[in-house]
Amino acid sequence: MAALLEVNHLTKQFGKDSKALTDVSFSVQEGEFVSIIGPSGAGKSTLLRCINRMIDASGGEIRFQDHHVMDLKKKELKQVRTKIGMIFQHYNLVNRLSVIENTLHGKLGTKSTWAGVLGLYSNEEKKQAIQILNVLGLNEMIYKRADQLSGGQKQRVGIARALIQNPRMLLCDEPIASLDPNSAKVIMDHLKKVSTTMGITVVVNLHQVDVAIKYSDRIIGINKGQVVYNGSAKALTSEDIQRIYGSEAEDLIFDIGGIHAG
Amino acid sequence: MEVKEQLSNVTAPSVHLLGKRIPAKPLNKAAIVTRLTLFILAALTVYAFYSFDYKELDFMDALLGTFANLKTIFLEPHLKHFSFGHALYQVMVTLGLAFLTTLFGAIIAVLFGLMAAENLSSRRVSIVIKSMVAFIRAVPTVLWVLIFAVAAGLGSTAAVIGMTFHSIGYLIKAYSESFEELDRGVIEALQASGANWWQIVFQAVIPSSITYMISWTFLRFEINFAVAVAMGAAAGAGGIGFDMFMASSFYLDMREIGAITYFILAVAVILEIFAAKIKRKLKTV
Repeated sequence: MAALLEVNHLTKQFGKDSKALTDVSFSVQEGEFVSIIGPSGAGKSTLLRCINRMIDASGGEIRFQDHHVMDLKKKELKQVRTKIGMIFQHYNLVNRLSVIENTLHGKLGTKSTWAGVLGLYSNEEKKQAIQILNVLGLNEMIYKRADQLSGGQKQRVGIARALIQNPRMLLCDEPIASLDPNSAKVIMDHLKKVSTTMGITVVVNLHQVDVAIKYSDRIIGINKGQVVYNGSAKALTSEDIQRIYGSEAEDLIFDIGGIHAG
Repeated sequence: MEVKEQLSNVTAPSVHLLGKRIPAKPLNKAAIVTRLTLFILAALTVYAFYSFDYKELDFMDALLGTFANLKTIFLEPHLKHFSFGHALYQVMVTLGLAFLTTLFGAIIAVLFGLMAAENLSSRRVSIVIKSMVAFIRAVPTVLWVLIFAVAAGLGSTAAVIGMTFHSIGYLIKAYSESFEELDRGVIEALQASGANWWQIVFQAVIPSSITYMISWTFLRFEINFAVAVAMGAAAGAGGIGFDMFMASSFYLDMREIGAITYFILAVAVILEIFAAKIKRKLKTV
């Protein structure tokens, strides 16, 4: 299988001497579920945003499908972005609009400026939105305003907005960091389902190592802007975790043996 | 170990304060400047009252005279030089002036407001527009009308242009600040899905800030109504303000001034009620 996403020697520098990413290389196969873990400030979010160029990297190469993402012009970049859905920690919905309107926002990238400005969506698009919302269990919330939803429901709307793009890949930036354990599980289950049943590649930033091990095919560990682990979730040892999280990892509040046993 | 050291560092400075009176606010440079300014202002006020030229005026007499005038104005109003219908028509003219200038101002201000909002445009453009707005707002509306009167002549044209100009400045500031309230993440989310600037503006930015925009616009409409009354008198822009000017400086008819004042008051109250209703409705939607 060909790699859907390939990142080679990526570096990102903020200002003069603060390096967020140094020489990051990895590739992601079609349909894979990849988690990126690492301590706060390690560069996980920066890395994710470099992939769809919400942040411009300072050096290296990113290939998505057959596009060299870093060389794309504005218009081509928008086209590539329509193929990459993004999910955020704080959901980033328009609070005053309804669930279905927020979902349909995912279609804006493929519409003409005028149709987008006036909010003219075709019936097929609306049908697709309702279908996706049904799958995510939001069928009764369709006309509710986004600010009336709970966190878990908001995040599901976020997933719906990404899925309506018909994406090849989902980038998830800490999707469960603001959720309670139950909603977090629902969200992770949905993401896993998206990956296995729809064949969409999922790259997700996570803080919870146990969740990463449980759900992902592969884990990429990042510390201080460098890849320190890149391998299957099953093979992750406590030494690896120590390398990813630094010396304090000994005191981390979970028990790795227990996770693998479960 | 480290933690303990830090803890002792935190407690150390407060130990020497025990027993002394503890000031709630530290006496720093800002506090001294504030106090000094207040003291100078107080001293100047006392000196000003002391040094007024009272022209042998008896304070009690003056006060009673003023009350007598107020009584004539407000308790014995009448219309002498024009009819009720004419007055109503003139109020409509004034309202029209306020409406037109607010409408023009709002339309232009939306566009520039978007460019002035830092999260929607570049920093440089935002700074340029904001500093121009600060300049426009610093000059009072009346002065803008008089400036434009040089080109357009005193009258309604100058009033419309001048009032629109100041409304634009006011509304750009109000709009751009409510646009900036929008969470950066929402814009980021739509950008990440490939949406363009105009789509983001109309699908996320304006729906999120529409209530602020409407209440700011209505506030400006109320201001413009008051200014339009003054412009009728000062710039000959017509409307009820001009009638008031005639009644006060031409006919010297205090009772008519009273009647006109009641007219303006009634309109202002109606506007206020209307605004409150709109705002309540917007909150529930």
